[in-house]
Amino acid sequence: MTLTRTRETTATHRAVVSPYWTFRRRDNLVGYLFIAPQLVGSVLFVLLPLGLVLWYSLHEWNVLAGTFQFTGGDNYTKLLNDPKLGEVLGGTAMFSVGLVVLNLSLALVLAILLNQRLRGTTFFRTLFFSPVVVSLVAWTIVWRFLLQADGGVNGLLGAVGVDGPNWLRGETTAMVSVVVVQVLKNVGLNMVLFLAALQGVPSQLHEAARVDGAGVWTRFVRITVPLISPTILLTSIITVVGSLQVFAQIAVLTQGGPGLSTTVLIYYLYQQAFQFHHFGYGATLSALLFAIVAALTFAQWRMRRKWVFHES
Amino acid sequence: MSPKLKITLYGLLCVLCVPFVFPTWWMVTSSFKPDSEIFAFPPALLPSSWDTSAYRQVFELQPFTTQYFNSLYIALLVTAGTMAVSAMAGYAFARIRFPGQNVLFVVVLIGLLIPSEVTIVPLFQMFHGLGLTDTHWPLILVPILGAPSVMATFIMRQFFISLPRELEEAARVDGLGRFGTFSKVALPLARPALGAVAIFTFLHSWNLYLEPIVFLSTPEKFTLPQALTQFVDAYGGPMWNIQLAAASLTALPILVVFVLAQRQFIEGLAHTGLKG
Amino acid sequence: MKPTRTLAALAMAALLTVTACGGGQTPAEQGPQPLRMTIWTSNEAHLKLFNEIAAEYKKTHPDVGAITFDSIPFESYTTTLTTQIAGGNAPDLAWVLENSAPDFVSSGALAPLKGELGKAQGYELADLTPAATKLWEQDGELYAYPFSTSPFGIFVNDDLVKKAGQKTPRELIEAGEWTWDNAVAMNAAVAKEGKAGLIVRDFDYKSWDNLASIWGGWGARAWSEDGKTCGFNSPEMLEAMTFLHKAIFVDKALPGPGTTVDFFAGDAAMTITQISRASLLDGAKFGWDLVPLPAGPKGDYAVIGQAGLGALKKSPNAAQAIDFLAFFTNPANSAKLAAYFPPPRASQLTTETLAKSNPLLKPEQLKEVVIDGIAKAVVKPSHIGQAELSQTVRAELDPLWKADADVKAVLDGVCAKIQPMIGA
Repeated sequence: MTLTRTRETTATHRAVVSPYWTFRRRDNLVGYLFIAPQLVGSVLFVLLPLGLVLWYSLHEWNVLAGTFQFTGGDNYTKLLNDPKLGEVLGGTAMFSVGLVVLNLSLALVLAILLNQRLRGTTFFRTLFFSPVVVSLVAWTIVWRFLLQADGGVNGLLGAVGVDGPNWLRGETTAMVSVVVVQVLKNVGLNMVLFLAALQGVPSQLHEAARVDGAGVWTRFVRITVPLISPTILLTSIITVVGSLQVFAQIAVLTQGGPGLSTTVLIYYLYQQAFQFHHFGYGATLSALLFAIVAALTFAQWRMRRKWVFHES
Repeated sequence: MSPKLKITLYGLLCVLCVPFVFPTWWMVTSSFKPDSEIFAFPPALLPSSWDTSAYRQVFELQPFTTQYFNSLYIALLVTAGTMAVSAMAGYAFARIRFPGQNVLFVVVLIGLLIPSEVTIVPLFQMFHGLGLTDTHWPLILVPILGAPSVMATFIMRQFFISLPRELEEAARVDGLGRFGTFSKVALPLARPALGAVAIFTFLHSWNLYLEPIVFLSTPEKFTLPQALTQFVDAYGGPMWNIQLAAASLTALPILVVFVLAQRQFIEGLAHTGLKG
Repeated sequence: MKPTRTLAALAMAALLTVTACGGGQTPAEQGPQPLRMTIWTSNEAHLKLFNEIAAEYKKTHPDVGAITFDSIPFESYTTTLTTQIAGGNAPDLAWVLENSAPDFVSSGALAPLKGELGKAQGYELADLTPAATKLWEQDGELYAYPFSTSPFGIFVNDDLVKKAGQKTPRELIEAGEWTWDNAVAMNAAVAKEGKAGLIVRDFDYKSWDNLASIWGGWGARAWSEDGKTCGFNSPEMLEAMTFLHKAIFVDKALPGPGTTVDFFAGDAAMTITQISRASLLDGAKFGWDLVPLPAGPKGDYAVIGQAGLGALKKSPNAAQAIDFLAFFTNPANSAKLAAYFPPPRASQLTTETLAKSNPLLKPEQLKEVVIDGIAKAVVKPSHIGQAELSQTVRAELDPLWKADADVKAVLDGVCAKIQPMIGA
């Protein structure tokens, strides 16, 4: 910061002396200086490592033997012929869709509930938000206990007369479990963002629509949703990107099982690179993951023109 | 609102909050249970007798105070650094016009798309090349400048875009330069967004798991999430009650701070004016 | 590799200078060289012993710098070790778990030891039992010292067994009736009383290699001796797994998947585990015993788990590392390590030596389980590419852990998947 400040004053000083330092030029310089730390960081800690990963993906790298051989597109051929990849991608899609849908709809429901004129909403807001501040590893370890065949969840279900399944051992229930545990951990963030957006919806609009005879649902779909659509876009981008990076939870809860049912792409990548010692192939999977995330984000960003309502 | 509706809403809220609250409750109360009670079925809401020995052992088995300090100082440094870096970059991307701005913004945004598992090996090579493994530098530098701060920059940019330009223009007429406008006008207005960034960043750093495991090898340098996994017996079997006690110790102060400051927290987050 | 790394380092250095954060120290090229050993225990008593041995070594070797022991969490041990090696920060010495032994031995990552150990004074290399070193050898060369050779045994909670009205395993052994059939019946009886029966520790319906402690009694193997033929579809394996499946889901002699029961807290009748866990019974509030694995249809058998200590070939201090390894594992220190890790030295596999370091165990327990065990034991299954094989087998076995599983179909499925991976 100090560095920037001195530069800034010199720039101002020079502007008086030299006509070269027009307002525009000075502003450009300030702009570059302001983004410099972030840009340098991105180049060093994001682009350079990413480039190296792509470079590894063209190699067969046996870490233990210490061999590093150029193999061209071999890893990519392997990718196309990987018998497990189909199942992994299917699981990833299921996980991400489930997570995004459940997260966004639950966040919206909670936000709507908390947006009612009720006493004590602050209290409930705190409760719903609290898992966000609990450490991820601790949260997941606790849920691993609770989801055991004779764990807390089934204890609770038993109390109301339901015979709960063995959550983490069935293919479907394991997937449901990892999705729900992840949603509960983070839905508070989206809930708060939605709540703020809801509070920004002018009540006059609702009043006017009510006078015109619009029902609750119509008002929600026609007024609320369009007005909060920018928030929906932002939260959905963050949630989609985040869903493809969920790793520790799977490692703790299911280790990708049973079968391959909860082996999502990021976990598979980790297994290949770090557990099976196929660093080159792991790098290839990284490239695939990066391509998928980039494509999804780009698609969402493009779609916003179609459905996001702009006030300004 | 009719009383009937009110009761329904309260009932709904109460039922909904069970899965949010119970795990934390269970974690804290179980840390006071003897080992044999932790797995009792059905789980007990309270321990039969309160046993605090696990808390003592947390500090005996690991240099836990040092590890606590490590996590705390790293998280605070990262938070402060990220706030500075992201406020400046966010402001520039939102308000200043300079050639190549959009391309550079996209370049920075790539960081948002890359999970840390992907780049951990090259990052490890880089830091090892500098002799910085088993130091806290990678845990400080990478979050402040690399991928994790990109989200912060994004939030700041979105916030500055939503600020009315008129305020700043008035300041410029008064003769404040770009930096003056930024530091005296825009930044104070950005307090809620900075608050949100601070919360995100602090929690992210506090919970960092993969990076410390890869970069650090001396117990005195460990951070908390890493230390949690070290409470195992001689054969790798977890010592449950001690792990839970340690986990409670890492979560509770944050929870307390959160409850005390939750209005500022949540409202700060809410008023970031996050708009697409 | 080198150029990219230098480039990356240069770029980083440039940044650090610019931001005036500075501080990358260049490693000293001369002077005493430090040694670093990665281990997975963070147990205080273990570390204390290691540091004592290191301090003693440094007394006679002033040319060696600090000797450090890096504890890496057990769960992520091999992963972290590999990342360190990939990142160019290989330790000088490393513990290697038996399941990654073939990978480490065959890849050439470890330095050969035979020459140096043979030369070391008073080392008595020939004292190492062939059964213990087999896993760590290739083409007659030894690549790691099996510092822990720990047989599987069964710890029994005699109180629970008696309460269920059963004869204790000790009584059955004396009567020559300690068989799997009887063991299962006994555990089923305890389980009926409300506590759990038999736990295969660390198995958790995932780490299937621990089941070798059961199917060994049927003479079944995960794969053939040469590692080229899948053994899961053999008649022996089918018989063993059918027996196990029935024991779990019909007799309820083993707690089912998704349950956590701790034998050492007194909640189960028996547990199959390595004898090194005996220390967990220090101060146990129930009467217990340690017995060998029951006889299967193929008679008596034993299974061991191992851990080796190797020197990384890549280390710039490899020669020094091997020298320290020779000291760390010489007869005197091996006897000290025996307090926690059963030694591979024939001369130390006596009840007297073992009793000194395992005060909790009685001589006959040590003889039956450790000494006789190591003599006839097979090592838990391991193979080149173990991590991937292991994950594949786990995924294929998952459908077995349901009450209505088709055992034969599942086992055939395992072989269908792994035969292409291991077949030459």
